[in-house]
Amino acid sequence: MTMNRKHPMARAGRRRVSMRAALGALVLVASCNNFDVQNLNSPTAETLTNGATRDVLARTAIGVQIQALNDRGGIIQQWGIYGREGWNLLGNDPRETGEEISGPQDAGGRAGGIWTGQYSAIRTINTFQAAVENAAGLSDAEKKAALGFSKTMEAWHLQIVALRSGPVGMPVDVDRPISDDPAPLVSFAEGMAAASALMDEAYADLQAGGSSFPFSFVPGYEGFTTPATFAKFNRALAAKILVHRATFVNCATCWAEAKTAIGESFITTADLPASLKLGVYFGYTGAPGELSNPVTESMTSNRYWVHPSIITGAQLQPDGKPDQRLLDKVALAPAPRTLNDLTGSYKPVMYNDPATLAPDPGADIPWITNEELLLLRAEIRWNTNDKAGAISDINLVRVNAGGLAPTTLTVASPDSAFITELLYNRLYSLMWTQGTRWIDARRYNRLNTLPIDRPGDVVHPNMLIPASECDARGLTDPCSVSGG
Amino acid sequence: MRRTPSFLAVAIALLLPVAASAQSRIITGTVTIAATGQPLPDAMISLVGGATETRTGADGQFRIAAPAGPVTVLARAIGYKRLAKPLAAGANRVDFALEKDLLLLENVVVTGQATTVEQRSATTAVAHVSGDELSRVAAPTIENALVGKVSGVNLQSNSGAPGGGIQMQIRGNNTILGSFDPLYVIDGVIYSNATIASGRGDVSDAAFATAEDDAVNRVADINPADIESIEILKGAAASSIYGSKAANGVVIITTKRGRAGETNVHLTQRLGQFRPSRTLESRHWTEAEAVAKYGAGVAHWFDNNPNPYFNHFDQIFTPGNLSFETLGDVSGGTDKTRYFLGVTNKHDGGIERNTGFDRQGLRLNLDQDLSEKVTAHVNSVFNRSTNDRGWNNNCNNFACHGYAFAYTPSFVDYSAKDANGNYLTPDWGIQANPMQTTDLAKNHEETDRFTGGLTLNWDAMTSGRQSLRFVVGGGLDVFQQANDIWSPNELFTERTQTLPGTSVENQGNSRYYNWNANAIHNYTGRGFSLGTSGGLQYEDRQLHTSRIETENLVPGQRNVGQGTNTTGVENLTQERTVALYGQEEIRLLSEMLLVQAGLRAERSSVNGDVAKYNVFPKISASYRILGLLGEGSEIKPRIAYGETGNLPTFGQKFTLLNTPQLGGSSGFTVAGASGFAGVEPERVKEIEVGLDGIAMNSRVTWELTGFRRNTTNLLLQRVPAPSTGFSSQVFNGGKIQNQGIEASLGVTPVQRRNLNWVWRTTYTRYTSEVLDLAGLPPFRPPLSGFGGLGVTFIEVGKPLTQLIGHAFDANGDPTGNQQIGNTAPDYRIGMVHDVNYKNFALNMVLDYQHGGDIINLTQFLYDDSGLSADYGSAAWEYRMKGYNNGVMTPYIEDASFLKLRELSLSMQVPDHYLRGGLLGAKSLRLSVAGRNLLTWQRYSGLDPEVGNLGNAAIRNNLDVAAYPPSRSIFFEISAGF
Repeated sequence: MTMNRKHPMARAGRRRVSMRAALGALVLVASCNNFDVQNLNSPTAETLTNGATRDVLARTAIGVQIQALNDRGGIIQQWGIYGREGWNLLGNDPRETGEEISGPQDAGGRAGGIWTGQYSAIRTINTFQAAVENAAGLSDAEKKAALGFSKTMEAWHLQIVALRSGPVGMPVDVDRPISDDPAPLVSFAEGMAAASALMDEAYADLQAGGSSFPFSFVPGYEGFTTPATFAKFNRALAAKILVHRATFVNCATCWAEAKTAIGESFITTADLPASLKLGVYFGYTGAPGELSNPVTESMTSNRYWVHPSIITGAQLQPDGKPDQRLLDKVALAPAPRTLNDLTGSYKPVMYNDPATLAPDPGADIPWITNEELLLLRAEIRWNTNDKAGAISDINLVRVNAGGLAPTTLTVASPDSAFITELLYNRLYSLMWTQGTRWIDARRYNRLNTLPIDRPGDVVHPNMLIPASECDARGLTDPCSVSGG
Repeated sequence: MRRTPSFLAVAIALLLPVAASAQSRIITGTVTIAATGQPLPDAMISLVGGATETRTGADGQFRIAAPAGPVTVLARAIGYKRLAKPLAAGANRVDFALEKDLLLLENVVVTGQATTVEQRSATTAVAHVSGDELSRVAAPTIENALVGKVSGVNLQSNSGAPGGGIQMQIRGNNTILGSFDPLYVIDGVIYSNATIASGRGDVSDAAFATAEDDAVNRVADINPADIESIEILKGAAASSIYGSKAANGVVIITTKRGRAGETNVHLTQRLGQFRPSRTLESRHWTEAEAVAKYGAGVAHWFDNNPNPYFNHFDQIFTPGNLSFETLGDVSGGTDKTRYFLGVTNKHDGGIERNTGFDRQGLRLNLDQDLSEKVTAHVNSVFNRSTNDRGWNNNCNNFACHGYAFAYTPSFVDYSAKDANGNYLTPDWGIQANPMQTTDLAKNHEETDRFTGGLTLNWDAMTSGRQSLRFVVGGGLDVFQQANDIWSPNELFTERTQTLPGTSVENQGNSRYYNWNANAIHNYTGRGFSLGTSGGLQYEDRQLHTSRIETENLVPGQRNVGQGTNTTGVENLTQERTVALYGQEEIRLLSEMLLVQAGLRAERSSVNGDVAKYNVFPKISASYRILGLLGEGSEIKPRIAYGETGNLPTFGQKFTLLNTPQLGGSSGFTVAGASGFAGVEPERVKEIEVGLDGIAMNSRVTWELTGFRRNTTNLLLQRVPAPSTGFSSQVFNGGKIQNQGIEASLGVTPVQRRNLNWVWRTTYTRYTSEVLDLAGLPPFRPPLSGFGGLGVTFIEVGKPLTQLIGHAFDANGDPTGNQQIGNTAPDYRIGMVHDVNYKNFALNMVLDYQHGGDIINLTQFLYDDSGLSADYGSAAWEYRMKGYNNGVMTPYIEDASFLKLRELSLSMQVPDHYLRGGLLGAKSLRLSVAGRNLLTWQRYSGLDPEVGNLGNAAIRNNLDVAAYPPSRSIFFEISAGF
């Protein structure tokens, strides 16, 4: 032992101090290492929530635009099947000729669809909006423009959910942490009203949004990519929502508001028939890694078929040919297809190459066009003491789009006759874009007028809240705003 | 961050020395080996009840300071039984002759980062295997060498492929979504056992892509011959010292070191061969049957022989090329410098044509006394492993052999060629010829790895009653794995693809480093002693993988730049942990009672709250009762409670953004999987009790352990309300339980001068149960198997390892999904016999697994194709009834087996033959050794020890045309110089 035995305590004391320092230094070294290891493989939500840059926001705006395409194929197919615009006779999923036509609906399956896609888009939008409000790199006008854009999109997604759910209700106040209780369910009327209110907020923001957006647009928005022009798109959607509210849920002021809104939209009577197609589209490219039109397919495919009632129900042009809209949108298949007692002979070809009928994965799907706006204005005018104007608008579409003679309606015609004429034109103008036949039949309590092809088949009045949504709320499925 | 917890300050305060008692005399002596009388270097000499220790030199001599009065001197050495001798007040000399420790009574077991305790006092069950036991029979990896030798550990090969791919599971399945690998620590360096998929699934169309790559877990890089000993910390109380990386147990490997004394040189040369041990048969055909099924085109196969029958296994899986292993080591040193240098070069020739495993390695371990009190220990090893794994497992495009065999009728001769020397274009229904695949396709892997560490040991203070030690260490483990996979254009399997010719370049780069600093204080009082230690650890783990795949290759080219459709993926994970620990070891009642308690507090970058310290406590006790079963006997009851953790996996806390693209613009959208910002480690809480003993003059020892471990705060995934915009979220909750018993028994039935027989048996039995899923409905975990073909299913009240599927009810009609099996074995027994007679040694390891269910999807494939060997039989009809009704019970079989894992016979050449200077050798040993020579199994398939999905948290016993099993025999000559 070499320890100095005279002063053990003193030595140990010094050692203790130096060891303390050494260990303290070690701890310090350890703590200096950055423990906030970020994800190095892909961007995280923190990219947005922690001081998003201008470029990050611009990319997120693109993401919001891309998510607007969510569920489009499902809407066209499922609402189209519900409303007898067509069938899916591929035969690989029994629900398409079973549950969707003859029931019963399954909240854990198809009837719970067109929900997650909408709310995931809303999650992106809400994250985007929070990021915009905190962004340092945007001017106030740019922030307004960005918010006007994103609120328009959010309102429109909410409206999709409201339309699918109808009386079972929906959550609206979903911008909350995942750890919170799910947003409460509200009624159809409240859901639609929330969509309207958000559209109006968006319109105000867009009007304060300066001359340009701080981001670009994906294909489909051509002509509507400045705050001023996008505002016209906003008003078009606002008018549509207001018309839905007026007919669906008894909104006394909605017709008048709709009249104002549609006047501020991009509706025009100039340059017809070409201007019928003016509007905003769901843009597809079919490029590698990008989205393809979800409906277009080869003429020999067994998947999509136009409902025979649309073929037989078409009015004739003066020269005896069927409604030009039908001729433009359907074609006789090389061979008919029968599945489970349903026989299809005509295929939808509005998204195929018009000359060759070859599938076109880059074909856009109309979102809202002047053709639809003219029909919306006709509906508004009929209900706001301008029946002559309504008939005039109907005729603009009948003649320019359908090649038909003007309608025989007069200002003296009963409402029911007007509705029949309106719904005829809406079906042929809008078929295979948005399930309009089903929505319109619901709006005017005409579900019982839709064709029933097989004994026991039914027309579903709405979709259901998904089982997983009910489960997460501890509700028995199927659940609704009025309980489990 | 928070500052140093105050217990460190307390620990430091405890290190204050008190006045040392006076030393008054020097005791000297010599330690020798009892059997030979040779001096024994490096034996540990200490005074009972004192803190002073010393070691014998190369000549076996020692000097130790002792107080006046009678003392007891204790001599210990690894591999020898301890011996204590009392010494009267006036005596200053004592000699020891130590006997060999055949039953390994003298092991020490790890209790902390820098502390150990003798096994006879240990408070927990710790499996210990010596390097000698590991290296008797050539083993591809250390896992092969361990099997059958330790209790509480379940080892299972995923396939018969050369060079590894083995899963080690310690005390059951403890997680569903978390990490399932034990932690490996080699000489204090945390060692990666990452399994990096090769990317072969990109080529072979496997359902689970990379999970079915038959990948190697990287402990395959360890050279078993480098190992001095392996300790396996099984229970939470033992492994708690490694915190939240230890939930699956810890494997602590100590490598060989030099000892002071003359230079020792050992050379070992092994030569041997791997041979297929089992093949499957296939249906026999008449020409009429063949033509009826495959068309007139196949009639030519019957031209020369009306009954052609080719066993395709025999065509592709043949005795491997010459396998060899060359091992050399040089060790020695002076009292101040000791070194060990080891080199290895081995080749295992695989039984599949053109497959094999090679490993080269160079190890240098150095110990240097820097001063009387400071010693530096350096470890370094470089290894290079290369592996040609072949083409097996699930390949939906028939690029894998067993899969192709199941669809190739037996009249087909794969080796048949046309007049131009080309393989015949397949006319038997599938576009694949495995012989062509083995000729042309490449599935090659190379791994270069360096592992090195440095430990400084400072004996700061030693007095008669106390000692203070500081240990600072750290190390680095880096490897680069590169896979080169090439499926050239001319392969029949490629010709049918839209973009023929595929090449994959896969890279895995791993970098682990860790360091720690520890202070250890011991105080010995009258009849008691205190050991206090504390310290700090830092760990950093990074894994970077990337893969480039290209299709539509230019003919003859394998460079990924030579294709037209190229895709790439990259993944980087990083984890950092800092931990503080303190522990106390108290011996009371004449040191017969040992109580250990400790705490580890750690924070990790993968936790949601990176600043939060998670605390893992442990407490354990043992009490030695001497003489109850006769003189020299001991019985030791023990009890332990401990907690360990299992870290969240990288990224579970993050909500990612997707980057969809449209019109050439890419956007950000919030992904469907929500991160959990509060994610925490899973926590294992375990109680363990045991009763160990030594009896009959140390000729019988046993260890008996019961444990119950609950994994709580599980990482689980739930479906939140979809209106949140998310479709899934990880969360912490639920509980699973594993409980079981482990036993080991060591007996020396014969112990004579010329004949020794040591017999060791281990027994392991455990069961799992899902106790709580935090409200989740039952679910299929990731990699649960193939839907409808029997899958694992997590369900409250059921074993974690249950299989569900359809069965037949009493009427023979299909039922709904129900439990149809359990992959976990009922129990396993390992049995080791070591018999030494004069110069001869016979060693045998038997491994028995009882129960467990396996799904024979290989048979399912043969039934699917109509090629089963028993086509048309009653058994076949029963299976087909299941096949046609989606009922899997006919394909579920008993996985019980008994394998003769090791058998070796060796002869030590008597010294007098060496006097002629046989190459100057001092010793020479000749042996012949076999591995997996015999297997008894109930299973009708190739090998019940198989896992198509590789190393997985839960699923194994899934047989889809795996690499077949083999047996190996090596001849060995080993010389010492």
